[in-house]
Amino acid sequence: MQYLFLLFSLLSFAETTSTDEKVVGVFYMKPLFGHVHQTSVGTSPSLTTIQCAHPVKVLESSKVSVSAEWAYVQVADYRGFILKDYLSERKPDCFQGKYPKFFDTLNLDLQELYYWGRLYDQYIQGESRVQ
Amino acid sequence: MINTFRVNLAFSSFLLLLSFGAYAQAQKLQEEKELEVVNFKSIKKVLEKDGLSQAAEQKKVQVAVMKKEQVNLDQGRYNYPSEDELWGFMSEYWLVKNAQILGWDFEKPDYGLESSFRSTLQTLGFVQKKFKILLVNTPTLVRASLPGNDGEMILLLSVPFIRSLDLSKLEISLMFLEDYFRLEAGYFKNQVASEKMKKLAGTSFYGQKPDLTMVEELMKNYHKQIYEKGFTFQQQFEVTKKMDSFLKSNPELWNVYFRLLGKLQSFLKVNVQYKDYLKLFPSPEMQLKWISPEDKVL
Repeated sequence: MQYLFLLFSLLSFAETTSTDEKVVGVFYMKPLFGHVHQTSVGTSPSLTTIQCAHPVKVLESSKVSVSAEWAYVQVADYRGFILKDYLSERKPDCFQGKYPKFFDTLNLDLQELYYWGRLYDQYIQGESRVQ
Repeated sequence: MINTFRVNLAFSSFLLLLSFGAYAQAQKLQEEKELEVVNFKSIKKVLEKDGLSQAAEQKKVQVAVMKKEQVNLDQGRYNYPSEDELWGFMSEYWLVKNAQILGWDFEKPDYGLESSFRSTLQTLGFVQKKFKILLVNTPTLVRASLPGNDGEMILLLSVPFIRSLDLSKLEISLMFLEDYFRLEAGYFKNQVASEKMKKLAGTSFYGQKPDLTMVEELMKNYHKQIYEKGFTFQQQFEVTKKMDSFLKSNPELWNVYFRLLGKLQSFLKVNVQYKDYLKLFPSPEMQLKWISPEDKVL
């Protein structure tokens, strides 16, 4: 009887920990293209490539710890990581949104979309400020 | 009998006349009613009083404006990007197209270049300057600066070159500063822009096919400028003099720059792998002469 009770409590614990994930909010991708990363490292493999203004669900979970620079996100069925600097609360004014017909005629292939996303992973970005 | 008949006839005639009269009266009233309904004049005062006619007019104007906006919006989808937006987009497009040749998609150590270049800019009073640094893993492209979005600069530098010269982050920052001055002077844009680009940027191709030869032309010009044309002696002189005047206020930085030019001169003289550098950025030897303090004759 005691074993049964222990098993039951373990099962219920497992259930609560798997559902503690909550949606912080919906944000939008800022760069032209970007990757949802497998881990919170810029060089980690890409789960999927998304384009500017794509909605991204930012999640919070006790099971996933992320540094201050990264956000734990869900895009379609993928759960991964995106740099917080690349997310915006408001829908951004994207190049492909402003000039859709011009952009479409360039016919970017999958490899180019992938590299465009990687470009934003590889950039070292900064801005000088008033001291 | 005859009298009775006359009375009846008179009575029935009277009834007939009465019924015709009543019929005519009813017909007229109906027309009048209809007239009242369609006659705008009769209700104009009421409409004016309620402000309905004004509202109807406003609605007409609104619909016309909305229709015009919709047409503009539809046509706007067929616009070429403005010149400013085109530069940032084209620079990244060129980087994407040449990703494998440049080899920028690789793991590299953190050289601390962001903080170093940011602090160099701030020390010299250049604020609100946005930059993107992209390290490339090839000796064929040593350095370049490309125009980015909204006045941003994209700075490229070769990691094999950094290693060969054992450049410090301060020396790299001063190379970036030179590149920033070149970009700011507009040398790149002036040499790469085509007539077609200037003509088409910001215009609409609504109802026709977009002219993609503009993009092809720009890609070729980017390649030519970065790998073949480079900068003239005059441009190099202007940039070096600008570096000299800005760094003079900070002797420590000036000395680092002076030593960097010496380092470049001696390295490039003997290293054939980077022989093209002297063609593209003439020449560290001359740069040294331009900023060397004149010998005083006592």
